[in-house]
Amino acid sequence: MTTSASSPQQQAIRISNVCKSYGNYPVLKGIEAEVIRGEVVVICGPSGSGKSTLIRTVNRLEEINSGAITFDGQNIHAPMRTKELNLLRSRIGFVFQNFNLFPHLSVVENVSISPIRVKGVAPGVARDKALKLLDRVGLADKAGAYPGQLSGGQQQRVAIARALAMEPPVMLFDEPTSALDPEMVGEVLAVMKGLAAEGMTMLCVTHEMGFAREVADRVWFIDAGEILETAPPEEFFKHPRHPRAQRFLADLRH
Amino acid sequence: MIGDIITIINDYWLLLLIGQYPNGPLGGLANTLILSALSIALAFPVSILFALARLSKWPLLRWPVTVLVYVTRGVPLLMLILWSYFLVPLLTGADVPSFVTMLTTLVIYQGAFLSEVVRAGIVALGEGQMDAARALGHSYLSAMRFIILPQALYNMIPSMISTFVATIKDTTLGYVINVPDLTFAASQVNNQLLTQPFQVFLILAVVYYAICWSLTYLANAVERRISRRRAGPANDPASPSLAQAKIVSEQL
Repeated sequence: MTTSASSPQQQAIRISNVCKSYGNYPVLKGIEAEVIRGEVVVICGPSGSGKSTLIRTVNRLEEINSGAITFDGQNIHAPMRTKELNLLRSRIGFVFQNFNLFPHLSVVENVSISPIRVKGVAPGVARDKALKLLDRVGLADKAGAYPGQLSGGQQQRVAIARALAMEPPVMLFDEPTSALDPEMVGEVLAVMKGLAAEGMTMLCVTHEMGFAREVADRVWFIDAGEILETAPPEEFFKHPRHPRAQRFLADLRH
Repeated sequence: MIGDIITIINDYWLLLLIGQYPNGPLGGLANTLILSALSIALAFPVSILFALARLSKWPLLRWPVTVLVYVTRGVPLLMLILWSYFLVPLLTGADVPSFVTMLTTLVIYQGAFLSEVVRAGIVALGEGQMDAARALGHSYLSAMRFIILPQALYNMIPSMISTFVATIKDTTLGYVINVPDLTFAASQVNNQLLTQPFQVFLILAVVYYAICWSLTYLANAVERRISRRRAGPANDPASPSLAQAKIVSEQL
């Protein structure tokens, strides 16, 4: 899988020459990349390199200064009616570092509220679907609990179920395990691995190199707002080409 | 002295309860309660609209409401009441009943105060909740209605209750423009008796205290019930934001 050989039909997300800066400080400097359908891409890089900003531009939680991000054949950063943007966003699952569950709603309501309110799914149907998804992430018994009653790992699994409830063809993960205690990282990664095995297209910012090695089809290494290297994980971890990537991996091993 | 008070209540309870009604306008406690309930019921939605306008990205919505809120909060309520009472008929030529003047003034005044409470509640939630709602495809208004406001308003219940209680107390100022409320009735009683102002106004104070205290009590009970339902054994997210809300309200 190389960067430029796919046809538009195979592309899930295409990022073209994306630039973004906060004031005079450039965060993304002409990012060129694409995610192919069914592919799992892991974005890694040192902190402050622009990883989170990049993934947040993909569903336009962050605006960009120039460039385009194509999803479903549409540039999500084109001027468009908010209705269209909301529809596009509802088809891109997003999992946050801090879960951002809705604390005033029970677990099952967290998962079913958006299908009901955004897609107009009947409440009974949405609830059944939510219970199935909760079962899938191993939390069927927590359906009636409130987010405040759950551990971090459980909250993040609910957040994944909540994103899946909108039936998105693509899932984005922004450091999904960084806010978790070490013993809870595994349960979240297991759910993500399950998703990958089912063929979900995934773009993950993560520091879990074991996950990248095992599940990713490609790794993007990003530093100072530029993608310096993209490679399959075994190649990236054994023989990183870019000196900055070599240094990053050496630092990780210590 | 307790005998005096009982006699006063015996002789004047109907006047204190409903004023001159049915021979004159409805007044007394009934009118105080109606004025308070209407003020609160109207100020609450007005405050949400004010708060949303102040948080809006459109300056045309944001600026006028910001100016209104600042001016209203920076002027004594009595001043606003006198303005509405004397200036509105002068400008419009309309003969507005004093009850309506008082109601409108209270709604704008308390709406402005409450809007700052609501706005603080929204801002205190942080960006994450809105981000999550937007990422799921909610429109701004849908996110506000189903995700942000339920939490913000809940967190702000203590501050909102104190504003509601303040509203009830502020209805007494209607006295200066002859709104026939409980204070007005009590002062009528006092004018007839002439010699027992302490007893009359003690009755008045006790009645106001009872109303305000029961509202506070009721609100606290409701709040405890909700937080029991929601609170977990570990990391309850409501409590830190509630603490935050209290700090914010104390600063107002």
